[in-house]
Amino acid sequence: MAKVLVIDDEPQIRRFLRAGFELYEYTVLEAENAALGLRAATIEKPDLIILDLNLPDLEGSEVLERVRSWSNVPVIVLSIQADEHEKVRLLKLGADDYVVKPFGISELLARSEAAMRRHLRSSNREPVVRAGDLAIDLVSRVVTLKGNRVQLTRKEFALLNVLATHAGLVLTHQQLIDEIWGSRAGNIQYLRILVRKLRQKVEIDPTRPTLIVSESGVGYRLDTGSSGSAHARQDISSDTTFAV
Amino acid sequence: MSTLQERRNLRELTAVFPDSSPQQARLAERASWPDVIARNALPIGTTLSLVWLATICLVFLNRYVPLDFVPLLYMLPVVFAATRWGVIPGIVAAIAGAAAADFFFYQPLYTFWLNNPEDVVHLALFLFVGIVTSNLAARLKNEANTLRRREKEIRELHTFSSGLATCLTSRDLIFAVQDYISDTLGCSAALIASAEDAYDADATALPAEIRLEALRLVRSGARDAAVAHEQRTGRSWLVRTIVPEILGYSAIAVELGERDSESTTAVARRVAALLDEAITTLKHLKVKESIEQATIDYRTEILRDALIGGVSHELRTPLASILGTCSVLGQMPAVSGDSQVCDLVEAIQDQAGHLDDEIRLLLDATRITANGVKPQKVWTDPTDIVAGAVKQKKRALAEHRLVLDLLPEPPLVYIDPVLTEQALGQLLENAAKYSPAGTSIKVSTSCANDCLEFSVTDRGSGLTPDEIRKLGTRCFRSPRHAIAASGSGLGLWIASAFIAANGGTLHAASEGPRLGSTISLRLPVTSKDSPQLLEAADG
Repeated sequence: MAKVLVIDDEPQIRRFLRAGFELYEYTVLEAENAALGLRAATIEKPDLIILDLNLPDLEGSEVLERVRSWSNVPVIVLSIQADEHEKVRLLKLGADDYVVKPFGISELLARSEAAMRRHLRSSNREPVVRAGDLAIDLVSRVVTLKGNRVQLTRKEFALLNVLATHAGLVLTHQQLIDEIWGSRAGNIQYLRILVRKLRQKVEIDPTRPTLIVSESGVGYRLDTGSSGSAHARQDISSDTTFAV
Repeated sequence: MSTLQERRNLRELTAVFPDSSPQQARLAERASWPDVIARNALPIGTTLSLVWLATICLVFLNRYVPLDFVPLLYMLPVVFAATRWGVIPGIVAAIAGAAAADFFFYQPLYTFWLNNPEDVVHLALFLFVGIVTSNLAARLKNEANTLRRREKEIRELHTFSSGLATCLTSRDLIFAVQDYISDTLGCSAALIASAEDAYDADATALPAEIRLEALRLVRSGARDAAVAHEQRTGRSWLVRTIVPEILGYSAIAVELGERDSESTTAVARRVAALLDEAITTLKHLKVKESIEQATIDYRTEILRDALIGGVSHELRTPLASILGTCSVLGQMPAVSGDSQVCDLVEAIQDQAGHLDDEIRLLLDATRITANGVKPQKVWTDPTDIVAGAVKQKKRALAEHRLVLDLLPEPPLVYIDPVLTEQALGQLLENAAKYSPAGTSIKVSTSCANDCLEFSVTDRGSGLTPDEIRKLGTRCFRSPRHAIAASGSGLGLWIASAFIAANGGTLHAASEGPRLGSTISLRLPVTSKDSPQLLEAADG
C-alpha cells in the first residue's frame, strides 16, 4: 500500500485529496506547513509527496530543494499559478510533475502513478513501456505500434526513449534538447521538427496527437492514458489543468 | 543656467530697476537748469531758511560769546540738506553759509568784502569742504536708498520664491507669476494663451490688438521682447514670448504706462528673469508631479498585484476544493452508481468550472489593461496549438461535433504558444456557445502570403455586419444574445489582445445571422522549414 504525504495549508484541499487517494487504497499523511511536511518526509518515508507551492512558512520550491538534497522520492507540485517559467523552474529543481489548480483527482492520480512507476522503473529496470497501442522496449530498442515494428531513426528513438523513460511525466524542452543533441548543438526548432517526424510514425493521426502531447510553453509528455488504473472515468474538470 | 545664477541675475536686475534714483539723477543732469531749479525750488528754499536760522542763532550767540568756529556751524545745514534732498540743496547750503559768514561775522562786517587773507582761506576751505561733504552725503543718501530698495525687492523676491515653492500645480505658478509682475512693477500683466479659443489669464485687461500682436510674435518665433501700442489710447505694452510655453501660455504682455525706453528695457529684462525663474520652478514642479505620478503608479501596481493575487488565491482556492471534491465524489461507488446524484455532482462541477473560467477571464483582462501582454515567443508547431486548445475546451465542445482540417506539415511559427492556445481556445468556446448542440465546429489551418491562419467555423447564430465591425472590442455583446447566452464580452477582446501581442490579427466572416461564422487568427510566418533544418534536426 503506497504512502502519500500531502503538504498543503488549505484543509479543504487536504480533505478531498485524502478522500481521493484513500478511494484508491493509498495511505495518506497530511502536513499543513513546510516544517511539518519536511519532518514527515524524513520520518515516515512516503512513496510520494504532493507539495503545494504556497505554504505559510516556506516557499514550496525551497521545500522541494531540501527534499531533493537527500531523497529521490517522487514529488508532484500543486500550484494555483500557471506561469510556464515557474513550471520549468520546478521541473529543473527536481519535481517529477506539476498539476495546476483546479484539477480533478483522476488527473492527479495519473500523474502520481506515472511518477511512482518511473521511480520503481529506475530501480527495477522494467524494459517495456506501453502507451496506448505503442510499446517501447528500452533494452532491445524495439518499438511496435499495434504489434507492428516501427522503424525509427537514431534521433527519433533517442527522443522516444527519453519520453518513455519518463512515461506520463512532463519533460522540459531543454531537458529533451540536452538529452538528444546536447545543450550546445540543439535548439527548439530541431525538437519541434523531430517530434513531428516521430508523431508521423507512432501516432494514429499525427495532426491530432494523443501519445506525444505538448505542454504549452513547458515541454512534452508521453501520455500513457492512465493505463491500468482503476480510475477509468475522466474528470470533467481535467481539461482545465493546463489552462493559464 | 543654474537657478542660483538666475537668482543672482535677478538681484542685479532689481538693482537697476527704473524707480532707482541714479537713473533719475542722470535724467536730471541731462535736463535744463531752470527745470532743475524748478524741481529743487522747495528744497532750496527750505535750505536757505535753515541757513538763515543758523545765522540768527549764531548772531545771537556771538553777542555773548565771541565765536571763532562760525563756518564750522554752517556745515550743519549743508549736511542736513545734502542728506535730505541731495547734492544741489547741499551746495546751495554751502554757498549760502559762506556768504552769511562773510556778511555777518568776518571783518568788515555787513559787507561781502574780506580784509584778512586768512579769512579768505577759511571761507574758501569751508566752501570746498561743504561742496565735498554735500556730494558725499548725497551719495550716502543714494546708497542708503538703494539698499532700502534692494532690501524691499529682495523681500518681495523672497515672497515670490516662497509663493512659487508653495505652488502645488503648474496653474498656481501661472497666477503667482502674473500677480508678482503686477504687484512689483506696478503695472498690469497678462499671460496670453497660444490656442485661439483658450482664455488668457487676466484677459479682461488685455486689448485684443495687443493679444494679436503677441500671437504674431509667437508664430514668428521671436525670442526678444517687443513694444506694442494701443491705437485708441496710445498706451504701450511690452510683449514677450515664453519659450518653452507654460501650460499653454506662450506670451506675456506688461502694460508700460509712461515709461521711457530705458525703463522699458529694464522691465523687459526683469520680466525675462522672472519668466526664467518661473520656467525653472515649472521644471521642478514637473519633476515633482512626475515623482508623485510614479508613486501613484507604483502604489496602484502594488494594489493591483495584491488584488490579482487575492482574487486568484481567495476565489480560486475554494473553487479548486469544490472541483476537486466533485471529482472524488463522482468516483465514489455510492455516487457513480446513482445516476441522479451523479448528474447533480456534474452540475456542480460544470457551474464551478464556468465560474473559474470567468474569474480567469477577468484576471487576464486586468493583466492586459495593466501591463499589456508580454509574449514569450518560441518556435512552435501549429499542430500543438490546435491540440492544446481543443484539450483545453474539451468540456465546452462536449456536445458538438469537432472536425479538424489541418495542414499535415504546417510551418513552424515564432509565437507565444500559451497566449495563442488561449486565443484559439476562446474562439472554440465562442463557437460552442453560439451554435446549437450537435452541430459541427471545424478547426482548420491554412498558409498563404507568409501568414498562417487558424480558423474556427461554426453553424451557429452568425454575425451581422455591425457585429463583425464591433467584434473584439472590450465588453461587446450582441443584443441578440444578451438573454440566451451568458458572458462578459471579454473573451474575443482577450483573444484579440493575445494575438496582437504575437504580431497577428483576428478576422471574422459570416454570411449573415443564423448562417454560421468563421473567426480566424492570422499570424506571420517568418521562416520556412528548409531541408537543411530537417537534416540538422534528424541528422
